[in-house]
Amino acid sequence: MNLYATQLECLLVILGIGTLLTDAFRPGGNRRALGYTLATLVFITLLYSFTIHPVNETLFHKMYRLDAFALFFKRLFLLATAFVLLMGAEFAERFETGVAEFYALVLLAATGMLIIASVNDFILLFVALELVTITFYVLTSFLRRQTQSLEAGTKYLILGALSSGFTVYGIAYIFGTTGTTNFDKLAGILHAQAGTPVPPFILGMLLVLTGLGFKIASVPFQIWAPDVYQGAPTPVTAFLAVGSKAAGFALLLRVMLAGLLPVASVWMPVILVLSAATLVYGNLGAISQRNIKRLLGYSSIGHAGYMLMGLAAVNQLGAQAVMFYLAQYAFTNLCAFLVIVAVGRNEISEYAGLGKRSPILGAALFLAMASLAGVPPLSGFFGKFQLFAAVIQAAQTDSRFYVLALIGSGAVVVSLYYYFNVARAIYIEEATDITPLPISLPMRAALYVCMIAMLGLGIYQRPLVEAATLAAGVFGLR
Amino acid sequence: MENLLTIAILLPLASAFLAFLLPAKKPGAIRALALFATGVSLLLTLYIFSQFDRQNAGYQFVKSIEWLPSFGIHLKFGVDGISMVLLLLVGIVSFCGALVSHEIHDREKEYYILFLALTSGISGTFCAMDMFFFYFFYELAVIPMYLLIGMYGSLPAGKHGRTKEYATMKLTLYLTAGAVLALVGLLTMYYAGGRTFDMVQLRENLRGSGLNQKWVFAALLFGFGFLASLFPFHTWSPIGYAAAPTAASMMHAGVLKKLGTYGIIRLALPLLPEGARQWVDLLAILACFNILYAGLAALTQKDWKFVIGYSSVSHMGYIMLGIATLNVVGVTGAVLLMFAHGVMAALTFSLIGFFYHQTHNRNVPDLSGLARKIPFIGVCMVMAVMASSGLPGFANFASEVMVFIGAWSQGSTLFRIATICAVWGIVVTATYLLWAVRTSFFGPFDEKWNMLNDATTLKQKFPYALLLVVLLVVGFWPRTLIDIIKPSVAKQVLSQTVEPKTAMVETR
Repeated sequence: MNLYATQLECLLVILGIGTLLTDAFRPGGNRRALGYTLATLVFITLLYSFTIHPVNETLFHKMYRLDAFALFFKRLFLLATAFVLLMGAEFAERFETGVAEFYALVLLAATGMLIIASVNDFILLFVALELVTITFYVLTSFLRRQTQSLEAGTKYLILGALSSGFTVYGIAYIFGTTGTTNFDKLAGILHAQAGTPVPPFILGMLLVLTGLGFKIASVPFQIWAPDVYQGAPTPVTAFLAVGSKAAGFALLLRVMLAGLLPVASVWMPVILVLSAATLVYGNLGAISQRNIKRLLGYSSIGHAGYMLMGLAAVNQLGAQAVMFYLAQYAFTNLCAFLVIVAVGRNEISEYAGLGKRSPILGAALFLAMASLAGVPPLSGFFGKFQLFAAVIQAAQTDSRFYVLALIGSGAVVVSLYYYFNVARAIYIEEATDITPLPISLPMRAALYVCMIAMLGLGIYQRPLVEAATLAAGVFGLR
Repeated sequence: MENLLTIAILLPLASAFLAFLLPAKKPGAIRALALFATGVSLLLTLYIFSQFDRQNAGYQFVKSIEWLPSFGIHLKFGVDGISMVLLLLVGIVSFCGALVSHEIHDREKEYYILFLALTSGISGTFCAMDMFFFYFFYELAVIPMYLLIGMYGSLPAGKHGRTKEYATMKLTLYLTAGAVLALVGLLTMYYAGGRTFDMVQLRENLRGSGLNQKWVFAALLFGFGFLASLFPFHTWSPIGYAAAPTAASMMHAGVLKKLGTYGIIRLALPLLPEGARQWVDLLAILACFNILYAGLAALTQKDWKFVIGYSSVSHMGYIMLGIATLNVVGVTGAVLLMFAHGVMAALTFSLIGFFYHQTHNRNVPDLSGLARKIPFIGVCMVMAVMASSGLPGFANFASEVMVFIGAWSQGSTLFRIATICAVWGIVVTATYLLWAVRTSFFGPFDEKWNMLNDATTLKQKFPYALLLVVLLVVGFWPRTLIDIIKPSVAKQVLSQTVEPKTAMVETR
């Protein structure tokens, strides 16, 4: 049973070590082909994952779960990994050395994310979180001769280490006051003690929240995001935006809605305020950006704010909305980063006339921006629609949520401004550089997949909504 | 029959997807596709109109597909008298818009994709019976305009140095702000009304649900008011139209704007009758500001498109005043005016587009004696201006009179004053429109306009003639439309809003 439950993780570890061995035995092989092969293998693993069924018991001394929620996120991480490996293959010429190591690190980080999806204990949470974070320290500074990349790596390292420290400290407090690190037991104990928990417990909870807030780049732990997004190699930025953020939300949902649900009345106001602050910070910060990766860094802060809205609502719809949002956000962001890799430029002004230079890249980036802004018929629209619905549902009993909904509405309007500024560059401004952009066949295929997914999930939402409903159902919320 | 309605709505959108797959090197094929899609939609709409049961005030040709059961979302289309008339308006204006789009010679593929998506968005909103899809199509209609204006528009320098990029961004942001505000209201109604998006069901459920209607109504009124260019949220409108390419101005001023007032009539009034009573006085005051303020602003404009842009803001005031009356005559007049103004605005913008395409100048004082060179366009413009000023014989006259009667018979002093203001608004309208048409089309002929070509062939004249004929037919025989609008207004919109006394007011 234990092997059945962890087979996806095992497969990725085997792939990662295999990549390193291949490189050791055949140094200097075709780096691009290796990347495409790995992307294909991960994609096959993704397809294979649909044959795995949820297991109704906890495994590894109740530390690990393979429920519908875990499977949903595992598939999401596999999808993101396949795309990031593909981007890595396109990006391979720009790395001086260590392309195989790059692929291997991506696969190991992905393994950590898969474990994160199944975490049911604070100890395993910390181990899995560190597996992902430490891998990312290396990945963000992979362009070792570019100071920007090194700066990004250092920033991520220092702030990441600090937030990891907070997390352990918080876990210690929670263990000290309740005597357990297991989420199920914790929920049982908290449920038994009626009333407000003791202050040290609340402190521990807030410290854990700090660590997770760092992963999802929510205010006030968001400072690193724009710099790291800008400096890191583009495939790594994409992985941060799609994989790492989803991992952070998987943990947040699991910790808050499984372990700490009995004390929801204590943490809900905190999340509510953080959500509003994150929305405001991310969206206002993005307005003046000239660099598209930096813009997406701020935008990722903003989107963390939207998704926190769903968590703050503490209802079934909110949880499922966050999961739907993460899935569609993956396609949307991957689409944007694929275009950035293909164009190979980072200033928004260098995207002028992209619609003429390469109609497919122009259309893909435009659709991605429109989906991020939440425009129908794209998937981002329905994602936001669900989140707003969850907030309004919560507002039926607590009118503070109306304020959150109005702040969210304002954020949508502001975000339209900076996303459409990119659209303006693509279609309205005259091109300064009119050399056509060649696109490889796998890249073209990936772009089409993303575009079809964005339109498909926006128009026919039912399959993903049902999957998210099932996955969020594990928390038994109303 | 049910399927025909769905086809009429979604055919342009399907064609937009098809056009996406066609090679950009064949603009002719894409244009033919756009003409085919809008043309067939118009014919289907006319057929549906001919089959429409005039005795039935409820929804007809209802087609419902279960879409997302966990939310209770259905893809549900149907038309009652109000939607029928407005669907007809979309059909006419979109077909004429596609016809006059031959002036576009750059990136036709993107242009027609956006135009077709816009068309489906508008007709989808008018016919949606499910609040989710209402909002879906509403937003779908608002967004293509950003690129249509940005890519194909033009804004002559001089108006405070504003660019078309400024104009299109302002328009998009304003309209989205309104839309999300309305969304908050719609979702509140969804939860208060037992989690259904079905408008008919929701109306039953909201009755006596204890929902505090005051603020929900305000969210809807001002949310949709942004798009309806309700004072003081109208400032995006004139500059947006001025910057837009011809067909986009026609669609936006003619039809898209009506989505705002349609949203108020379709959702706010019938679903929130309590809230409506609390806000109509303010709405009437704002409507007067629309009529007079925008009218006076139009007096000072020099650019033809700004004149018509402000004029359209001013006319929206009459529609809003009609809505505020909350009686059958006033609201029916408002719906008829939505139709009449839609056709008239489309006609005016298409005529401006015709000569601007050749002169590249639409500054009224620079133009002179154009009627000598382009008599057909001149005649059409005179007729359009007459219609706009509310001359009897045009559809606008009948509808404006109904609005005035409705407002006057509403009874309160406020509405009497508002009616007087509105009637004076007509004088203002006539002043600036007659000035503009006299200066640019009559007077001494300027030799530099010698190169102008008139619309000579039937093909060229057709779109303008079609719009004009519609205005005249409805003007002389308004009962074709009033007879189907009125029962629906009474039953679908106002049956809970009005006290029995005012509901009895009869015009004929």
